[in-house]
Amino acid sequence: MSTTAPPRRSEAPVAVRPQRRRKVDAAFYVMLLPALALFTLLIIGPALAGMYFSVTNYVGYGEYSFVGLANYLVLFTDPRILAAYGFTLGFSVVAVLLVNAIALFLAVLLNSKIRFKTALRGVFFIPMVVSGIVIAYVFNYIFSTSLPAVFGSLGITAWSSSILANESWAWVAVVIVTAWQAIPSALIIYLAGLLAIPEEVYEASSLDGATPWRQFTAITLPLVAGYVVINTVLGFKNFLNAYDIIVGLTNGGPGTATSSVAMTIFTGFTSGDYAYQMANAVVFFIITVVISVLQLRIINRRGVSL
Amino acid sequence: MLVNGPPRGGISRRSLLRIAGLGAAAGALPLSLSGCGAGAGSGGTTLRWVANKPEVLAVFDELAAQYNASQSGVVIDHDGTQTSIVPQFVRGGPPDVACYNYNLETSNYVRGGVLADLAALPAAQTINPDYQSLVTQYASYEDETSVLPWSVTAAGVIYNVQLFADNGVEVPETYSQLVEACQKFRSAGVTPIYTTARDVWTLGQGMWDYATGSGADVPAFFAAKLAEGDESGKPTFLETFSPVMRNVLDLRQYFNPDFASKTYADGNLAMAQGQVAMYLQGPWAFGEIAKTSPDLELGTFSIPMTEDADDRAVRVNLDLAMWVPTASASVEDAQAFVSWMMQPEICTAYNQENLAFSPLQGAPSTADPRIAGLAPYLDAGRIYQGAGTFVPNTIPLQNYFQGALLDGDGEGMLRTLDADWDRLAARSALS
Repeated sequence: MSTTAPPRRSEAPVAVRPQRRRKVDAAFYVMLLPALALFTLLIIGPALAGMYFSVTNYVGYGEYSFVGLANYLVLFTDPRILAAYGFTLGFSVVAVLLVNAIALFLAVLLNSKIRFKTALRGVFFIPMVVSGIVIAYVFNYIFSTSLPAVFGSLGITAWSSSILANESWAWVAVVIVTAWQAIPSALIIYLAGLLAIPEEVYEASSLDGATPWRQFTAITLPLVAGYVVINTVLGFKNFLNAYDIIVGLTNGGPGTATSSVAMTIFTGFTSGDYAYQMANAVVFFIITVVISVLQLRIINRRGVSL
Repeated sequence: MLVNGPPRGGISRRSLLRIAGLGAAAGALPLSLSGCGAGAGSGGTTLRWVANKPEVLAVFDELAAQYNASQSGVVIDHDGTQTSIVPQFVRGGPPDVACYNYNLETSNYVRGGVLADLAALPAAQTINPDYQSLVTQYASYEDETSVLPWSVTAAGVIYNVQLFADNGVEVPETYSQLVEACQKFRSAGVTPIYTTARDVWTLGQGMWDYATGSGADVPAFFAAKLAEGDESGKPTFLETFSPVMRNVLDLRQYFNPDFASKTYADGNLAMAQGQVAMYLQGPWAFGEIAKTSPDLELGTFSIPMTEDADDRAVRVNLDLAMWVPTASASVEDAQAFVSWMMQPEICTAYNQENLAFSPLQGAPSTADPRIAGLAPYLDAGRIYQGAGTFVPNTIPLQNYFQGALLDGDGEGMLRTLDADWDRLAARSALS
């Protein structure tokens, strides 16, 4: 095979020719085709099929008939589904706030002039490479066995039973573990943002006598604001889909206190409730799209892009 | 009319598949895959036999080898893969023959009419009607015999024989005797009933199923619930199970105090260490307990929930049952294999060795002393399939029951069940 480079047209002075934005080379469209075909086959097709089945009483196989919007109407009166939406949205908001606050705090620390900076950064990234279900099982053991034993031996009886068995507080455990796993990726983005802030502005502000807190609020925060938005959008998307960590920690319990929307949708596969949960999935999809569009509009206003 | 041809493909949204990691199911387009065709070139037929009960895979391998050696027309290819069968039906490539757990999910194949009628097999006449009728409690298709029971397991309260003797406690026959026994154990410093509420399935198969089965007529209740017609005239969970629920909640004081955070493994360990008098688990727990204490003397009894000793019954399930899809490569050859499997020297022998009961008429009861206490109920036909097993798992009954044990609101739980059931019936997913 020869390695002759294709002739580069733009080098020629002919480029001066006033060219209207005319036809794009057909090659680009041809190159786009495989991706488009795969995307349609694997994503758009199944999505449309799911929407189609959501107006039937299909159980996953066999015959079915159309039931119109019945699945949707029942959906909006099903307290268990509504509770799952309430839990998922509330959990996402809390998790986004917690993850961003801690990740930004750690990023500022890891970006300051400390020793072992590289090694510490490495340590803080570890949770990102461990699978969610593994993390969940490890924390399950900590919450159910280790912590109760510790509190029990300290004589704090109120804390000596597992938080995972407590209907009112199990969600806190879910948030803690989710945050533990999600912080590193937010941290990376914040570190990139902090590295982009020129050192000179800090020097100038310290000459003006600004305290570290003032530097943080007046310089760091405004200059990483775009990254905050990015982390919020990405985080929200991930937390709304919460599944593996909850399955490993509480399996939706105690009772149904920590059942997420994704978990209720998945029950449709095994229980012949396919069409109903497809309707649930469509509603969930719309909600996710609306939230994402709102966030993207905020991003555009701030002049940053993903 | 019901389809017997290749079922339509099910396509699902990408996000779901990503969540589930069911990458393979993404190709659930109507592929005309036949899971297993005729044996290439060998002249005989190869049948894919799905039998994946994890504990006894080696037994199944051995049975397949025996059958293959006994004749030359058919090769049984044992498939012990631990996957769901639903996608195989969806893709149009179901097993050619199966020996599989029979439950509400499997009963959907019966209802859908995708299984061949086995009524004409002589082997079908050898099955105890008490057990055969369990099949149609979940679903039936016309008057066909779509499924033949092969292994019946029974569950009840596992008890520590030594602790009962040491404390002068007899096996309780009424609810008040049960409470009395609990009080004796508690004052002797023994945990009366060990409960593992962190693993909700242990509650579902345990306290919920056993208590409702002995305290109410579960088969009649669900026969009424699943009958045609709207929900208004039918019995409700609330009125049927309220008295049982009250007794169950009263029993909580005799649980281990930390029952909310204990798991199945904790329960087996506590039982094995001899600290516990009673433990509500199925026969599968015996093997786990024996890992720690192989010589612990254990027995099983049916939990009494009323003052009438005759109300007691035993929870059974069709742990394994044989069926042949109509889409089998050769229904006839598969049926011959089923007949072979139903022979007493194979079927009854398996059950006697595996803490289970043979579904064949006149088969001797299983002699293992750990489950001998349940045998009289099975012989007398006082059996039921657990109330939890009739409820599709789109209704998280086990989680609701866990919630009720934690907050003590039994009636609230039963009301939620009624509301969920009606909602499910309204969208006609049930029948």
